[in-house]
Amino acid sequence: MARAIVRGGGVPSGSAGKQGMRRAEARSILYRRVAVIVILAVFLLPLLWLLSTAYKPTRDIFATPPTLLFSPTWSNFTSVFRYFDLPELLWSSIVISLGSTVLSLLLGVPAGYALARAKFRGAVGVAYFFLAIRTVPPVATLIPFYILMRDIGLLGTWWAVILINTSLNCAFVVWMMYAYFRSSPISIEEAALTDGCNDWRTFLTVALPAVVPGIIASAIFCVMFSWNDFLFAMFLTRAETKPISVALLSAYGTKDISWGTLGALAHFSTLPIILMMLFLNRYFVQGLTKGVN
Amino acid sequence: MTDLALPISRSPRNAMPYRTRRRLFLLLMVAPAIVYVVLIALWPLAQGIVYSFFDYSLLRPASTSYVGLDNYRALFSDTTVRTALVNTFLFTFGAVALEFLFGLGLALLLWRDDRFNRICLSLLLIPVTVTPLVVGLIFKAMLSPDYGAIGYFAAEWGLSGEHGFLGETSSALMTIIMIDVWEWTPLMALILLAGLKSLPTDILEAAQVDGARPLQRFRIVVLPLLLPSTFLALVLRMMDAFRVFDIIFVSTGGGPGDATDTLMIYSVKQGLQFFNVGFASAIASVMTILIGIMAVIFILVVKPAEARNG
Repeated sequence: MARAIVRGGGVPSGSAGKQGMRRAEARSILYRRVAVIVILAVFLLPLLWLLSTAYKPTRDIFATPPTLLFSPTWSNFTSVFRYFDLPELLWSSIVISLGSTVLSLLLGVPAGYALARAKFRGAVGVAYFFLAIRTVPPVATLIPFYILMRDIGLLGTWWAVILINTSLNCAFVVWMMYAYFRSSPISIEEAALTDGCNDWRTFLTVALPAVVPGIIASAIFCVMFSWNDFLFAMFLTRAETKPISVALLSAYGTKDISWGTLGALAHFSTLPIILMMLFLNRYFVQGLTKGVN
Repeated sequence: MTDLALPISRSPRNAMPYRTRRRLFLLLMVAPAIVYVVLIALWPLAQGIVYSFFDYSLLRPASTSYVGLDNYRALFSDTTVRTALVNTFLFTFGAVALEFLFGLGLALLLWRDDRFNRICLSLLLIPVTVTPLVVGLIFKAMLSPDYGAIGYFAAEWGLSGEHGFLGETSSALMTIIMIDVWEWTPLMALILLAGLKSLPTDILEAAQVDGARPLQRFRIVVLPLLLPSTFLALVLRMMDAFRVFDIIFVSTGGGPGDATDTLMIYSVKQGLQFFNVGFASAIASVMTILIGIMAVIFILVVKPAEARNG
């Protein structure tokens, strides 16, 4: 494999007949594309398969041997509405993820800015402290947090989930925005400050607009993390406040609920995030590479 | 890190020198996040360490008593903990090693920057965004020996035991690792690809002009340049794998027996299902310590490497 590889780096190959080189080059690109398509299938088919169960009648899902052919039906979607209060589940997920995202950005963006601009040596250490917070095993904080929420009467509310999600998300945002602010030029800010613009206005009108892609990326990740979380939500919410992820899990253990219904419910749990990622792909990719380097 | 230009303000309103004012401003910007994280993350973490020295069960909170290191002693003589510890490490290193290998292969395939590769990369990232819970469900269903698209044929052709890949003690952990690999390889590929694209082209060209064969070029030039820039990503992925919960909880729940129990799964079970807060906190504290050790090793390895590369 390595042969195709290193040539792919855009390194011009010298010598040999040019015509032959070009043909070999074209062939190697073709081989690589075929390989990529096969790999793509491996990564996408399992998801498509689960989603496709939503359109299958139960007897086709459990057909032995499993078959590719089925008579499509909408009945699984109607049973989703029969068994679940879908708008309420989605509303919970939206409140939890947006609540945590807004809170994390409000806390994390200014902190990332301060750490990137501070001339104090320990700033890097503080940035690493935020990174470290994200690596703490969630169970270590969840159990005491659960007891704390019970004692102050927030257990079972959206607040409990939003608060604990925000502690991880805001640490992530600080780290990410620290990276974005550090790579954004400081000279315009200096000019604004010398011209008598105060610190706060310089931050809002000069520094922030320069890192909008970073803010979008941070928001995408916060929404994704809290929408996809179910460990925290499982233990911290109750029936009326549970998000769609928890509903999926409890549905899975229930006899009445078929795989078809689960597949239909999974649409509402996965598609919003997948669509968000595809629409904002540029920011997502940039954020992923920046947030970990 | 150049010094900010210092505007000298003479208005009486700004009696404080600029430097102090600027410092105070930056401190106020970072303070809320620090306070928040200390209160909502560090404080519970410390509380958990305190709990680990108590015999504390939510089912009988009245009989809570200080037991010193008893929970830790119980933990080291508990066979499930021992299995969970081994499983956690097998899972962490197995999954991350495979993700690195496959991710590297994939990154090399996608190295050429064209439209086709960019579109494929976006589509490849879909598994990363899928709720881990759903990932567990997908494979639970696909691998079912009774009706799963893969599991049925695997059982029929004798590739898996009659309980399927997830249902047999011998194959369950490996299967969980493969599920994690499915979920996270694209991310690894993306990170390695970003690393590849940032390699200095002149060095690659020089190696080629010098007549290095592709494999040599890869081993001597590409890999040594790629590793430092992606090391942090590897360590972070490793720490994430170390505390994996969702996919195991959904697909096997730690079973069959304790074949796929990890420290994370076992402590959640002990703490939030059996309400043995003291014991669960001891497991969680051990996990935190192990993560800390990984972080220290990382710092010891990275600092010298950074110093070498300037």
